[in-house]
Amino acid sequence: MNSVRQQTLSARLTSFFLGKPLGRQERLAGLAMTLPALIFFIIFIGIPIFRTLLLGFQEWNAIGPITWAGLGNYQRMVDDQVFHGAFFVTLLLTGALTLCLTTVPLLIAVLFNMGWGVFGTIGRTMLFMPAVISWVVTGALWKLILDPNLGSLNTLLANIGLPMLQRNWLGDPNVVLWAIGTVAVWQQLGLYVIIYYAGLQGLDGTLHEAAAIDGANARQQLFHVTVPLLRPVILMVVTLNLLNGIKLFDVIYVMTGGGPVNASQVLGTYMYRVAFANPGLPEFGYGSALSTVIMILCILAVFFQIWMSRRSNI
Amino acid sequence: MTPGTHPRRRKSPFTPARIAVFSLLLLLALVTVYPFIWMVLTSLRPRNTIFNGPFIPEQFILDAYPQAWQQTEFGLHFLNSVFIAASALAGIVALSTIAGYAFAKLQFPYKRLIYVLLLSTMAMPATSLVIPLYLQVKGLGLLNSHLGLILVYVGSMSPFSIFLMRAFFEGLPNELIEAARIDGASEWSIFARVMLPLARAGVGTVVILQFLSIWNEFIYANVLIQDPSKQPLQPVIFNLVGQFNTNWPSLTAALTMAIIPVVIVYVRMQKQFVAGLTQGAIKG
Repeated sequence: MNSVRQQTLSARLTSFFLGKPLGRQERLAGLAMTLPALIFFIIFIGIPIFRTLLLGFQEWNAIGPITWAGLGNYQRMVDDQVFHGAFFVTLLLTGALTLCLTTVPLLIAVLFNMGWGVFGTIGRTMLFMPAVISWVVTGALWKLILDPNLGSLNTLLANIGLPMLQRNWLGDPNVVLWAIGTVAVWQQLGLYVIIYYAGLQGLDGTLHEAAAIDGANARQQLFHVTVPLLRPVILMVVTLNLLNGIKLFDVIYVMTGGGPVNASQVLGTYMYRVAFANPGLPEFGYGSALSTVIMILCILAVFFQIWMSRRSNI
Repeated sequence: MTPGTHPRRRKSPFTPARIAVFSLLLLLALVTVYPFIWMVLTSLRPRNTIFNGPFIPEQFILDAYPQAWQQTEFGLHFLNSVFIAASALAGIVALSTIAGYAFAKLQFPYKRLIYVLLLSTMAMPATSLVIPLYLQVKGLGLLNSHLGLILVYVGSMSPFSIFLMRAFFEGLPNELIEAARIDGASEWSIFARVMLPLARAGVGTVVILQFLSIWNEFIYANVLIQDPSKQPLQPVIFNLVGQFNTNWPSLTAALTMAIIPVVIVYVRMQKQFVAGLTQGAIKG
């Protein structure tokens, strides 16, 4: 790039008439322009990442001195039942949400792509509404709807003659994950529908027409034309889902705080409890070890994306 | 249609399949917005009919709004949120336009390395950084101050904004830069006078997307600001859930007031919003 740029006539003229050494100004300006972003990055992302990793090998209660713990925090994880549960629930929710929110929005987007004019636009706007609302408001709102005694869901079930389906949605360990999963789907479904819909709009329609002429029905067109063409978008949606699942925190913290009896405890809520909402002193060391686990899961998700996109390019 | 041209089959809009699909999508859209409708209706309900009245209340009462406004000191926290969002946005826009332009249009040493470094951690969630950031902000003496939270937002949200601005500047022609160089303009004035004015749409996308992220952010706000009078809206709403136990009209009124700004931003600037979002997601 650089050599090509330097050989353009205008650039040569510039250096000839102004007598400036070619590109030196540009190089200095480039460095100076990225420096502020780099400084912010180092202070608010770079150093914190190293500190998380470091604190994971230390013990600190915010008052006493920082002591070296070696692998103590990680050994504690091996025996910590709450951690086992939180790790499992994180993977379970991430897997279930990824599966659901990769396939269902694609089907809905295909249906929207049948051409509904202004109705389609209104429908997508409605569907997308929850995605602009914060997780806190989402959690607060659904906590009311799912309230076992007064919530509108149980009231509705009674009114339509299905009282046997009533549950203590957020208080029953066997039901709570279904409730949280449903709320997460409600919040994010529209986002992925919009992403898929934009992908579908960008596709060349002639391939579908050719497939239709060859006698492919709607289902065959979907699996043999649409899905292969949308591969990059699907991969992106999978990655976003994995990352969103791993970092799930706010909505669970608001609705259940990880309860009942840790049934909905995920890594994020457990880290928060250990570090900031401990009944005793905060345990920044163990909290950081939990943060490190979250970080590693995110890095695995990103590697998965890179690996998949490399593989499909070859 | 003249004879001889390929006769285009016009699909009737009312085939049974289309009606079924339409009903399905309509049902889906209604189920999705139902909680919002329920929320607004509950906030307008007389208190004694919250739990047993008809779905659409017989009379609408606005009492819950002033009540929620006063009890939560809503105005104060709303202004806190506005101040934090506006300041952080100013920082994010400044950092990301300048850096995005440099990454898109200038050649300089270590360019790729710096870019990859900035972008590689974009996926790091707040839950994995909140402990050291808390210590970092505490170390700077900025705990319980708006400035500390603002700086954290600028730092954590800039990489994605830089990514968006770089993509936008790459779409602008190089000829303008070359021409300005011949005229003897400095690199900084080329950026500020020639390129930045052309990047308004890109800046708009960054502002909308990051406004929503900041307005809705919870974990940093909750950890870094514990002084009640300085808190932005989200932690306040979180605390309300426990406090307003059964006073549902006040609680739903507060929730409604809290989402009004994002709903306005979303409905009014939907196009840029969706464009930025899909661009970010698909090109990422």
